[in-house]
Amino acid sequence: MQLTVDGLQVQVADGATVLDAARQAGAWVPTLCFDERQAPFGACRACMVAVDGTPKPVPACTTLCREGMVIDTNDPASRRVARTVVELVLSELPSAPAPHTELAQVAARLGVSGSRWSGAVHPVDHDLRHPYLAFQHELCISCGRCVRACDEVQGAFALTAVGRGFEANVAAGIGSGFLESSCVSCGACADTCPTDAITERLLLDGSINGGPPPEAPRLRERR
Amino acid sequence: METERFDRTVTTTCGYCGVGCRLEAHVRQGRIASISPAADGPANRGHTCLKGRFAHQFTRSRERLTTPLIREGDGFRPASWEEAYARVVSELGRIRDQHGPDSIAGLASSRATNEDCYAMARLMRAAIGTNNIDNCSRVCHSPTSFALRKSFGLSGATGSFDDIELADVAILIGVNPTQGHPVVGARIKQAALRGCKLITIDPRRIELADYGVLHLSPRPGTNAAVMLGLCHVVARDGLTDAGFIAERTEGYETLAELLVGYTPEVVQEITGVPAQDIEQAAHIYAQAQTGCLLWGLGVTEHKYGSEVVQLLCNLALMTGKVGKPGSALLPLRGQNNVQGSSDMGALPDTYTAYRPVSDEDTARLFEQAWGVPLSRKKGYTIPQMFDAALSGELKAMYIFGEDVAQTDPDTAHVVAALEKLDFLVCQDIFETETSRYADVILPASSFLEKAGTFINAERRFQLVEPAIDPPGGAKTDFEIITTVSRMLGHDMGFETPWDCLDEIASLTPQYAGVSRERIGRHGAQWPVRADGSDSPVLYDTFFDNPEQRGKFAALPYKAPGDAADDEFPLILVTGRVLQHYNAGTMTRRTSNVELVDSDLLEIHPQDAERLWVSDGDLVSVRSRVGRIELEARVTERIQPGHVFTTFHFPETRTNLLVGQSADVNTSCPEYKVVAVDVRPVAEHPAYVPQLAGVS
Amino acid sequence: MSRNLIELTRRHHEGAAPTALALLKTAVEDHGKITADDIRDAAAASGLPEATVYGVTTFYDDLKGPRGARHVRACSGTACFAATAGTHIERLGAGLGVGLGEVAADGSVSFGEAVCLGFCHSSPAFIDGTTVLAGPHALESLLAGRPSAAGEPDWISLLSEPVLTRTGDWSGLARALHELQPEQLLAEVEAADVRGRGGAGFPAGVKWRFTRAAPGAVKFIVANGDEGDPGSYIDKYLMERNPNLLLEGLALAGYAVGAAHGYILVRSEYPLSKPVLERAIRQAHADGWLGSDIRGSGFDFDIAVVEGAGSYVVGEETALLACLQGLRGTVSARPPFPAERGVQGMPTVVNNVETLANIPFIARRGAQAYHDLSPGSKSAGSKLVCFNERFNRPTVYEVPFGMTMRQLCEEVAGGIRDGHTVKALQIGGPLGGILPAGLLETAFDFEPLAAEGCMVGHGSIVAFDETTDMRALTVHLLEFGAHESCGKCFPCRIGLRRAHEMFSTGAPVDRQRFEELLETLELGSLCAHGSGMPAPLRSLLRHFPGELGLAG
Repeated sequence: MQLTVDGLQVQVADGATVLDAARQAGAWVPTLCFDERQAPFGACRACMVAVDGTPKPVPACTTLCREGMVIDTNDPASRRVARTVVELVLSELPSAPAPHTELAQVAARLGVSGSRWSGAVHPVDHDLRHPYLAFQHELCISCGRCVRACDEVQGAFALTAVGRGFEANVAAGIGSGFLESSCVSCGACADTCPTDAITERLLLDGSINGGPPPEAPRLRERR
Repeated sequence: METERFDRTVTTTCGYCGVGCRLEAHVRQGRIASISPAADGPANRGHTCLKGRFAHQFTRSRERLTTPLIREGDGFRPASWEEAYARVVSELGRIRDQHGPDSIAGLASSRATNEDCYAMARLMRAAIGTNNIDNCSRVCHSPTSFALRKSFGLSGATGSFDDIELADVAILIGVNPTQGHPVVGARIKQAALRGCKLITIDPRRIELADYGVLHLSPRPGTNAAVMLGLCHVVARDGLTDAGFIAERTEGYETLAELLVGYTPEVVQEITGVPAQDIEQAAHIYAQAQTGCLLWGLGVTEHKYGSEVVQLLCNLALMTGKVGKPGSALLPLRGQNNVQGSSDMGALPDTYTAYRPVSDEDTARLFEQAWGVPLSRKKGYTIPQMFDAALSGELKAMYIFGEDVAQTDPDTAHVVAALEKLDFLVCQDIFETETSRYADVILPASSFLEKAGTFINAERRFQLVEPAIDPPGGAKTDFEIITTVSRMLGHDMGFETPWDCLDEIASLTPQYAGVSRERIGRHGAQWPVRADGSDSPVLYDTFFDNPEQRGKFAALPYKAPGDAADDEFPLILVTGRVLQHYNAGTMTRRTSNVELVDSDLLEIHPQDAERLWVSDGDLVSVRSRVGRIELEARVTERIQPGHVFTTFHFPETRTNLLVGQSADVNTSCPEYKVVAVDVRPVAEHPAYVPQLAGVS
Repeated sequence: MSRNLIELTRRHHEGAAPTALALLKTAVEDHGKITADDIRDAAAASGLPEATVYGVTTFYDDLKGPRGARHVRACSGTACFAATAGTHIERLGAGLGVGLGEVAADGSVSFGEAVCLGFCHSSPAFIDGTTVLAGPHALESLLAGRPSAAGEPDWISLLSEPVLTRTGDWSGLARALHELQPEQLLAEVEAADVRGRGGAGFPAGVKWRFTRAAPGAVKFIVANGDEGDPGSYIDKYLMERNPNLLLEGLALAGYAVGAAHGYILVRSEYPLSKPVLERAIRQAHADGWLGSDIRGSGFDFDIAVVEGAGSYVVGEETALLACLQGLRGTVSARPPFPAERGVQGMPTVVNNVETLANIPFIARRGAQAYHDLSPGSKSAGSKLVCFNERFNRPTVYEVPFGMTMRQLCEEVAGGIRDGHTVKALQIGGPLGGILPAGLLETAFDFEPLAAEGCMVGHGSIVAFDETTDMRALTVHLLEFGAHESCGKCFPCRIGLRRAHEMFSTGAPVDRQRFEELLETLELGSLCAHGSGMPAPLRSLLRHFPGELGLAG
């Protein structure tokens, strides 16, 4: 079907979302909970855009295209929502996200350099016992990407959302961490995490200080 | 975005299993800092397993070989490349001159690139003058290759992994993808949850059985009877695709006669699978619009493994489930380039694309290209090489990227053969069980340090690009092999592996359109025509043999090469776990050992109770040819009467137990049926593996 | 909602196996907390992964332990707030000698909150085990160890012919089965313009039409009995006092849509609802109104009752479906709509209890008669309303649309008690706007209320008298909002917490920043919880700016 994004005509297949159409048109729409390997989730609400004929902005990731739709990705109200959302997200973290993270990059592109919001932040809680995967729970923004990667991509079902409201977070297994869960260490969670709440332990050890990656373990002695 | 954390990022292809995940290797200070999946990888679609993503620490292991080693007394001394090359060339030259070219054999590696394997085959054929070249597909999927050529014409999957998502039903036989081929395993699991009816056939209840509609647990070695039973029900109940059989196949009548005897009841008797399950599985598969068949080494590594693959082809032909989207036969190849190493002609009987060495036109083509006369005589297969070494006919071997002393069956026999050789060259990234017997060890490169191509289990050529340099004085395999060849007097004339790829394309019509540029980021599935168009689906209009027809094979069930008896009452099956890869050469040098650090013997609670074995006990496992010790894991995943273990740890040496029984057509060893006796270790005296020459 | 998890439960629940949530509730009731073994057992029995089940344990209020031998909770609903300004909660804690969310050292008693027990006519309310106590003397008798169950409210119809207060007698189903094809019944419901009574006002006929048209042989009807709106006890009345009307409505929906199974999700805060409904279902089976081949018609229908576990957002339809299947009660983006993928991934109608209670009348009397029920209004049918304890005659009334709020408050409910005066009303639940006393001439109907930033909503009418501190009311509403946010969408998850913090600290509130936040909540939130919370807050900003402690 044919539709218009920011004045540009684009052709999309049946079932395409507004976000698909926007990306096809080369328009940037901020997202935090979206990963093209997963079904749209509609949690972060950073991807709001205006559609002619609808009274309020719509989330681009979960709205299906209709023939003749006219989409404005630069709608001021939508961008205000995106900025406020990102500011709110930054306000729940005890420290700023690392510059390479998706969150930091989306914030930078939206021109959000910090948060005017004070208040509760997530408590620092690390689990570094797994050889490859590190949990830094305080950086979790409950985007659900790790949980969905584990569910929809790997099928290990080792992760879950936990808690409710502001206390929401993620956990592996029955809250016991990766090692005691059905985790198969595929790393899809770390790959998709937009904040490094789940990240590669080896990168944490090395890259943050800019040092070289650690040595490999020595082969075990023969019994 | 990664530029801040990493010096550079190189897109390449994973060097672990045959799925062929495309990877982004992120490099910092000359080392792999991280690996992430390539979002556009056709097989992996932005996903990979813990081996591809995390198990790269081995590249910087302090145990990497960084200089050539030459035997001195009981040990080795470092040597310069000049000295090592000179030694290799003079010894191989001397032996060739004294005993003839057929006294030398080479092994190419299914871990290495197409270009490495092609160069190795050319080294043996052109520089030495023998067809004694083989690769480790001999011990895994040679039966698949043989059977697919017999039944359909070409030695490769008939479709692509994408067919899994299009299939209404998928039968998995003797394959455990969530462990062995994790990314495809994940795709199968998702497909099963989205409605693809999954039927699993395996002596063990594999993880995917939990997501399927039916699981069959045949006795090890009875797959043929299962397949005959399924075909019987399909024929009996009129579920065949008569039009397809008439128009596209031949030999159905003979098969139909054979099938009459394989009633579900007869099959139940042979296999232990309830007759009603055979009926149900046949109905589910035959009544679906589209269906895929996937198999692995649980089918091939048997005395009649190649015949079982032909019987699988029968089932697809009877129901017209081949040559169309969603209906593919997909052998899950074990190693990253097990498809390519054979496609490249690193086999004793064929040049590239399986053209026989005895074929005059092909031989002339290569003679013309290489400028030397070539032998028309088939060379030795791997097992024949060891036999010939023991009988004194084979004097020297050049083994590249394989650890036959750990992975090949009847380890004691292999070791004796290696000891008997006059001269052994091992080319590898680490010292191995095999290199203990070497005269010269050449330090080579891992997949992250070299350029070239791999071919995955979908027949897809994919690019391999070096992310880092080989450590220390190590060189790429391609450089080593072409240098040895040049010093032996045969200059291949390749500057880079890409020159070699061009030669492969120019000498092989099936790969005519292959080039580095055409493969690009998305790969190319052979046959690749001169215009570059490739072949995701084979046989959509005709089969690739002179008659252009699918061939039914009327092959009866025959008993496996080993059977349980009073002395050896349990049947051992071997396989892999997710966290480790084959001989463990790479994965044991990564933090994967923190996740899994030993081989375990899986045993059913009933057997365990009878044998006074508890979970975690050290047990002795004895077969007709060897004995090992390992820890027991009591689990209901395995059936009573069967035990299972992996072969990743040299401490265990599982293959000491495996005998000489092998596939009748391809000599692929029967790893999957070994009669054993299991006892708590306390009942045996303290045991040390007895290996000649090992202190 | 994870498609894979739904598929895993579907495969496991052939028959009526309990959900993971039901098993976890049983564990808490049995031994006061959930152990790792309980989680593993619930996972094995439900077919869900262990991690998923663990996630469930951390979502619902009822599963959060630990609990004492005696578990006492104070109602934190808006009616109780209007009655005591929240002091009853502190007094209960002090009386028990236990902190909120804690257990006495000897394990004898634990103290918590419950978000509205539905005894808004008799505030404040408490629940001791499964016994609800309510009224001015409830706390004293509770602390004295003499808990006696609170009295249930009456119901009164202002209509000459009661519809929603008429005791269900299955006559609508009887007529439909014999005289109407399913398509005809559906057409009647469409013609009747039945708007959803749960808050959103979505036309029931449209949902039914979509579900009927959706491909698939197996379909479901779900009655949303998760009446979480503080101040409302309408569905509680219907489920506990007039259950047959609801059952009949469900069966009629099944008949029209082509579904053979119905579910009723009830709140755990209404401990009587499930047993009453189950008794009525058993009786209906015995009388031949439920089961196979009902009254020889060839139509099969059965109904199961599932109890929630303490979550307001579960009243949202996608969250309700997740809860029904034992998962975390978080909201899912639509599409897919329940009409396409609901229970077990099959097409599903989700209707509010009161909505379904309208159906027997339509089946019996037709669409025109239904329209005639509210002669002075564009809206069809009648509406149940209920009043809080501040009124002289607080109970459930069936009224036509179109009466003014003043008529309802003064003539129907008898005005404010004890000589107090009304300061403002909150209509239709916590997401409804707040109507100041000066606007009582507004008609009780969809459009007129919307014009004042209010809504019919669920039909609850909570009066605040002149003693109410509007900043305290703001904090009360935001505390509820933040506590009940499911945590899925970012604006609601973080925004309501920040809004609560702005008001609860006592510092002046930056009005501009607060309005920015309201805009993001309103435009950005995934469901009505986040997008609806701004309505009462905007009313307060508009009508009571001086009381809110604003700056800038």
